Amino acid sequence: MNHNLFVIMAASAIFYGTPLFFAALGELFAERSGVLNLGVEGMMLIGGVTASWTSQHLSGTSWFVVLVSILVGAGSAGLVALLHAFLAVTLRVNQTVAGLAITIFAGGLGLSSYFASVWGVAARPATHPIRILNVGGFADAPIVGPILFHQTILTYFSWVLVVVSTIYLFRTRIGLQLRAVGESPQTADAMGINVVKYRYIHTVIGGLLAGIGGTYYSLTVIPTWVDGMTKGAGWIAIALVIFGFWRPDLTLVGAYLFGAFQSLSLILKARNVHINGDILNAMPFGMTIIILVVVSGGWAKRRLGAPASLGVPYEREER
Amino acid sequence: MNSNETVAVRMTGIVKRFPGVVANDGVEFGARLGEVHALLGENGAGKSTLSNVLTGLYRPDEGHMFLDGHEVSFGSPRDALNAGIGMVHQHFRLVNSFSVAENVVLGDQTTSTFLNTNSVADTVAGLSQRYSLAVDPRAKIWQLSVGEQQRVEILKVLYRGAKILILDEPTAVLTPQESEALFVTLRAMVAEGRTVIFISHKLDEVMAVSDRVTVLRGGKTVGTVDTASTTARDLARLMVGREVVFNRVERAAHPDAHKTVLHVSSVSATDDRGNQALHEISFSVNAGEIVGIAGVSGNGQRELAEVIGGMRHATAGTILIEGEAVKSGSVRQSIAAGIAHVPEDRLHTGLAPSHSVEDNLILKSYRHRPMSKWSVLMRKTIKSNADTMVERYDVKTPDTATPVRLLSGGNVQKVLLAREFSASPKLLVAASPTRGLDVGAIENVRIRLVEAADKGVGILLISEDLEELMSMSDRILVMYEGRIVGNVSAAEADRESIGLLMGGVTTAGAQ
Amino acid sequence: MKSPVRLERRLTQPKSLNWLVPVLSVVGALVIGAIVLMLTGKNPISTYHRILTTAFTSFDSLEGTLRSATPLAFTGLCAAITFRSGIINIGGEGQFFMGAVGASLAGIAMGGQPKTIIIIGMILTGMVFGGGYAAIAGGLKAKFNTNEIIITLMMNYIAGIILDYLIFDSNSYWRDPKSFGFPSGKPIVDAARWPIFHLGMDIPFGFVLAIGVGAVLWFMYSRTRFGFEMGVISDAPAAARYVGIRTRWKIVVVMGLAGAVAGIGGASDVGNFRHILDAKGLQLAGYGYTGIVVAALARYNPFGAIFVAVLIGGLTNAGYALQGPDFPSGLVGTLQGLILFTAVAGEVLTRYRIRRAGHEAMAVTA
Repeated sequence: MNHNLFVIMAASAIFYGTPLFFAALGELFAERSGVLNLGVEGMMLIGGVTASWTSQHLSGTSWFVVLVSILVGAGSAGLVALLHAFLAVTLRVNQTVAGLAITIFAGGLGLSSYFASVWGVAARPATHPIRILNVGGFADAPIVGPILFHQTILTYFSWVLVVVSTIYLFRTRIGLQLRAVGESPQTADAMGINVVKYRYIHTVIGGLLAGIGGTYYSLTVIPTWVDGMTKGAGWIAIALVIFGFWRPDLTLVGAYLFGAFQSLSLILKARNVHINGDILNAMPFGMTIIILVVVSGGWAKRRLGAPASLGVPYEREER
Repeated sequence: MNSNETVAVRMTGIVKRFPGVVANDGVEFGARLGEVHALLGENGAGKSTLSNVLTGLYRPDEGHMFLDGHEVSFGSPRDALNAGIGMVHQHFRLVNSFSVAENVVLGDQTTSTFLNTNSVADTVAGLSQRYSLAVDPRAKIWQLSVGEQQRVEILKVLYRGAKILILDEPTAVLTPQESEALFVTLRAMVAEGRTVIFISHKLDEVMAVSDRVTVLRGGKTVGTVDTASTTARDLARLMVGREVVFNRVERAAHPDAHKTVLHVSSVSATDDRGNQALHEISFSVNAGEIVGIAGVSGNGQRELAEVIGGMRHATAGTILIEGEAVKSGSVRQSIAAGIAHVPEDRLHTGLAPSHSVEDNLILKSYRHRPMSKWSVLMRKTIKSNADTMVERYDVKTPDTATPVRLLSGGNVQKVLLAREFSASPKLLVAASPTRGLDVGAIENVRIRLVEAADKGVGILLISEDLEELMSMSDRILVMYEGRIVGNVSAAEADRESIGLLMGGVTTAGAQ
Repeated sequence: MKSPVRLERRLTQPKSLNWLVPVLSVVGALVIGAIVLMLTGKNPISTYHRILTTAFTSFDSLEGTLRSATPLAFTGLCAAITFRSGIINIGGEGQFFMGAVGASLAGIAMGGQPKTIIIIGMILTGMVFGGGYAAIAGGLKAKFNTNEIIITLMMNYIAGIILDYLIFDSNSYWRDPKSFGFPSGKPIVDAARWPIFHLGMDIPFGFVLAIGVGAVLWFMYSRTRFGFEMGVISDAPAAARYVGIRTRWKIVVVMGLAGAVAGIGGASDVGNFRHILDAKGLQLAGYGYTGIVVAALARYNPFGAIFVAVLIGGLTNAGYALQGPDFPSGLVGTLQGLILFTAVAGEVLTRYRIRRAGHEAMAVTA
């Protein structure tokens, strides 16, 4: 295969952007309900390690093991998100600190590493990694083949999710109610919407999706467990939500942009182009800062701002 | 007291406690089908709590509720909505980024899973025509005026088919003329057999719109009377528990009354969103004079107060104190020039709520001796300053280290006034200084203001309460859309003409 | 469908909660940690016993604990002063790195000067590098109102990459030209090594300095005009504007100050302990994030932060010392995360009292 740089860039942008998108979409749901969850990194790692373990210990056909591993990864991260929901919604603690606690607790130096160590996950590669597909045999088709038909099942699932979540958020009754909960829980409450229920459910959905993102890392990107292998992807996912103005479609675009940065250093190295790798590694983080500065300006904020009650605990009987 | 078939709602023995207060203490209340029933009481009498119980937002600790003779118990606002009870809150429950139609349909479980905004918009348009509540169903809430937003609130409950509508202080944000229009709408709804519960503390409105009145005081029901057989004065006595007449305080002119303290000259300013809020305003306040600013809230009063207080830049014009220009947009310059400022939001702007009484009393003087030396705070001086102030202004507090947020509203205002007057100001700008206070505290604030004026301080009193302005001011300026549209001596002022000016209707006679 | 318990707002805060909440937080975290250990087939009692003896029960173990506590004291103070001011600075990690970069520069370049001068030079460059790095985030917040949480986080990762660049991917001034197979930092001169006091046990100069910095910060926040103004800004921003406190500039100053404190921590890491710019070691340690645990458990009190740093330092120290096949990695981080959970959950006790719904009516009438 001898593709030009653009094709490789585009294909790997999608490849590396997909886990970012899952995590960012999860955070988007939580934030749309008004819950800020800074624990994405920790949830991704917990999802990754439990999925890895499942893949190593489950016997069965490959697709069955992969499916169960993804579900286990999603579910365990969902449980961690449930903990955040309890702290943020029921106990109404400072959501920033609670989210940090999630990341310290579950993250690269915490529970995910503990599990990896007591279960011996890092010792061997995943028995059933999530494979890159050749959809309809089109993977070798010129240009579009490697970009669109040579990805994992999770990428195709993410495309379904963009459409479904956009319709859900903006075209359904429940989506309208969800947005109302994030904008003005007082209003939602007065109109008979159960604020607590919406916040719990969407925080947990956020966890499930972050878990899938983590699974992608441990079963696809590097199908062997390494402590802290997401390397800050969870934080970039949080920034992506801002970058995508809390919209699934723009978040996908952002995720692919960041995916492109991540893949750039690998591609250039392979092509013997000598750019210092550290500069490229720093690009996603630097870009995030620049983008935050741009979207924090008055215009963008007024037009496309965050949910008005993001991060604010709701308490009914305030006197 | 009523025969069962005409009773729409009955509440009996309602008790609701909050930490430290009993907001409802055995309230009895009943409203009939097809009547406007006013719920009258002072701030803190328990009106809002009672209506929140009726709408399912609060769960009563004791007591029973009956709808059409059947006992009901609401676990959530949804239960109350389904039972046909809708509420128009004083602070609107609207999602600003949503359209009118989206707000109206929000929370309605009977609509289809997928939104059909067009059909909702049509329904809303129909309703707004039927009740003459003109509003564009496709407009976003943040684009609407306050009056229009209130109409959306009413449309919301009508859309849900509410048979009992509760309106919490609905006229607080309206001009007298807009209020009249609202009353017409309420009458139309009652004529259809709905019940309207009208919460207010304004006697004249209650007399004008209601069929019957239930008066609450201190969380208890004082009585229910037919409006036709009572008078405003009787209601006032029931409400307050004693005779109150706010008469105009006649004051002799101050010896320095010819001296101009504040001169505002062609001042313009923008609001937080960057829209022009003040259009070349000019006026002056003399020593010992109380000048009232009347107007519906949101017509530039807040911006005016902030420009004078130095919190907001004037885009044009000058502020002069005793003839000397004050640098615009500098709080420190304004303080130095002798301007004291009692802001509208006492607890979060005027004071730092989690800080102690002691610290709040030096909020404007900590930069200088004797409160601080070489950047270090002099704690002993600060403490003794607080002791003096607490005694002089009769602040009820356990000690001077207590956070001000734990004090009652009246005492919070005393702390604020103590600090502002302690700087011996030349001018005091007071924005709604009595709002939300009980009668005793209101009297206290008014006495302090008049005392200060008698000592020669010029006072700019901004208030939405016309009665207050007419009883306290020497002169009343009316603001409308960032302009001063009227200037009347208080002795000659009458409600009608000021009300018209507040609504932007300028007539030759009122100029 | 009444919920069995409900939270009721407290009108006053009993003073005893100041120590009760942190103590209960630690106990609670240890109990939950024990459950995790049991579920994964480990014996919690023997594990905790080993942590305790490794961290606290002898002069030897306490020496190791103080070594671990020193960087945490600085990052804890860094987090405490910003959180107190209503700014969520997660950037202690990167500011610590930059402090180490600055101090190692001074420690190498100032060779030949008297010891005192070099040490002062290292502290100052550490402060300037750490403070300057933090002030960037502060400046962005002041100027563009960007979210400081994300910015400081991104800057942590960038600081890590800067370390990688200086030691691994370039022939920088910091890299030891004599290291071939595995690149490492250039050692600082002997005179740049910070003293260790021998008072029955070894007490590093950096730890003493942390106590001093804690005292200065405490005085600043409770007794000076600057601290008073910061208090007003975090309590009521509108009130700060109303009395003419310049909020924007203060954000930059506080961030710079916090970064400078973390920067001294980085300097102590170079001067007192590692004596080189240790790119890998610093990134693995996670001092900045642990510092947030320290600050939260200390309820953002400067003196409390020093005390808690010793406690958490003991845990970290035990984690290093016990590392091996029979002591799972990640346990220490898990326990730290649990402590942070219980500490924030414990904050709820200071704001609310918990009531059983059925009993509340009686409780009030009684």
